[in-house]
Amino acid sequence: MEAKTRILARVRRALKDRPKALLPEHPHATFPEDPLDLFLKRLGENGAEGHRVDRAEALALLKELLPGFPGAAFGKGVPPELRPPLPELPPEEAPLGISWALFAVAETGTVALSAEDGRRTQLLPPAHLVLVEAERVYPTLLMALSHLGPLPSALGLHSGPSKSADIGQVMVKGVHGPGRLMVVVLI
Amino acid sequence: MQAKAKRYPEEAARLLKEKPQVRTAVTGATLHFERNRLKAYGEIDAEAWRERAKAVKNHLLTHLDHYLELAEKRLRENGVQVHWAETPEDAHRVLREVVARHGVRRAVKAKSMLTEELGVNPLLESLGVEVYETDLGEYLIQLLGEPPSHIVGPAIHLPLEEIQRLFHQRFGTPLEASPEELAQVARRVLREAFLTAELGISGANFLVAETGTLALMENEGNIRLSTSLPRVHVAFVGLEKLLPRFQDLGLFLPLTARAATGQRLSTFVSLLQGPARPGEEGPEEVHVVLVDHGRTALLHDPEAWEVLRCVRCGACLNACPVYRQTGGHPYGYVYSGPIGAVLDPGLLGLEEAHPLPFASTLCGACQEACPVKIPIPKLLLTWRHRAAEEGLSPAWEKAAMGAFLKVMASPTLYRLFSRALRGLPLPQDLLPLLRAWTQGRGPLKPSPKPFHELWQTLKEAKEEGDGG
Repeated sequence: MEAKTRILARVRRALKDRPKALLPEHPHATFPEDPLDLFLKRLGENGAEGHRVDRAEALALLKELLPGFPGAAFGKGVPPELRPPLPELPPEEAPLGISWALFAVAETGTVALSAEDGRRTQLLPPAHLVLVEAERVYPTLLMALSHLGPLPSALGLHSGPSKSADIGQVMVKGVHGPGRLMVVVLI
Repeated sequence: MQAKAKRYPEEAARLLKEKPQVRTAVTGATLHFERNRLKAYGEIDAEAWRERAKAVKNHLLTHLDHYLELAEKRLRENGVQVHWAETPEDAHRVLREVVARHGVRRAVKAKSMLTEELGVNPLLESLGVEVYETDLGEYLIQLLGEPPSHIVGPAIHLPLEEIQRLFHQRFGTPLEASPEELAQVARRVLREAFLTAELGISGANFLVAETGTLALMENEGNIRLSTSLPRVHVAFVGLEKLLPRFQDLGLFLPLTARAATGQRLSTFVSLLQGPARPGEEGPEEVHVVLVDHGRTALLHDPEAWEVLRCVRCGACLNACPVYRQTGGHPYGYVYSGPIGAVLDPGLLGLEEAHPLPFASTLCGACQEACPVKIPIPKLLLTWRHRAAEEGLSPAWEKAAMGAFLKVMASPTLYRLFSRALRGLPLPQDLLPLLRAWTQGRGPLKPSPKPFHELWQTLKEAKEEGDGG
């Protein structure tokens, strides 16, 4: 407690004669574009693959997207009727993780993944497929964060495949996290 | 970290001479970052975003006691253990205790400048803990035993060939291995570390007081892994890293990404609320260490307190024509470039860092780039002024400036001296002080007539012309 008391005392002494600054409000930008179109465009620009599909036809699309994957790890939130018929593998071994997003952000091409869905599935497999409902796609990050309910223990915002240019300024994908991100928007 | 900022002039000169490839690598990388930032700023009303970010941080800093107490309260409610550290030793105590209690043998680390300040790696190694830096760039320089040379890109000073040689020696990869192959080798080594480490260590980009949320930005996924897989997570947070409200992240996350790398948002953002809840994956124990280490002293400074708005994006480094020549190493402390030149004197004391504020042309590019509008050029002058007042600048410089002032203030003396200078032959090494300038440049050629005489002649000619 002593360090805290001393630090706070120093902060108060430092601020004694300093005028207090006001806290500004964040204006919500008007967003004329269809958030779904923008979302898919931004995903592409971020190096991810975006698809939109009627919920009823989602499983067919998934089967089409996932040939060659011998199995997958599944997030807890993926509804059983949307699970492609792949053997379930632990995330440490699976070549693919399939997650259910809490929400998405159009302006940045982002999917938000909750710890409740399972963190390992989001991070360990080299490929990641994320399902998100169209009505959960917000135009801006500010809007999404303002509408969020109780916060999960961890929220991961993923805006594309893992990448790094640390080796000789050459962009490399899949450094630690998934090197491939596929997002399917359910209508 | 042991500061060597006092030796900046000698170290910068030595690096330029002995490792010219660093200049090429750093210039290439920073110009690339800078182009991306300009494009990303161009997409938004950057002026309004930066003005708002500055206002939010000023509010935070002028109410810092309130927000620190609020953050601590929220963190505790979230099940996070909160510690306050005035010094590196205080921070070390927290780590010692965690290492002993959990029998930690291996730690994975997310890139954090604050942990460089605190000397976290040497401490852990002294406790027998194997430490893995997991950011790819940070991992490279850890293998080389070097400090980071850039806030965001710690290894931008390394040319590809040097990394190929390093991996060839360490892992037996071919000398001509591609960046993809090298990255895959690092991925394999570090994946093993992620899966077996008991402790994950990180800094924080932001700590939201309202909700006790830690926010971390990255592109590789190593921070998400470091804060998700080990049983214990310890985050070191500088006092100035707080934000008042959760919604402030809606501004600061995208603005910082645009400033740092020109992205609309970093590829991965972790928003952490504390330990895993029942049935969830994640750390069972989370510690936040709130670190002062010179920050309250800076807050007390009537001018330099504004540097505490800094979000560590590195945009000022990328914009700086002086930083670009050498990268960060000659600056001799964790924070280099323009922000280092105004932050380090505050954190280390001017005595320890006085050459840094002089490592600038005062061109102002840093201020234009800064997402929170820190008046860096003004603060460089503040520190220079103080260095002169405290007698930290050389005696000859003081004498020369005094003489210069006398001459410039008196038209008679000015004319006398300028005539004398024009009349002199001016051999290149006439003044040893100027040698650093005259070497590698063409000879100085004074105009045969001083400007005021030329002006007079022109004026007379024009009046004659007008009259006729």
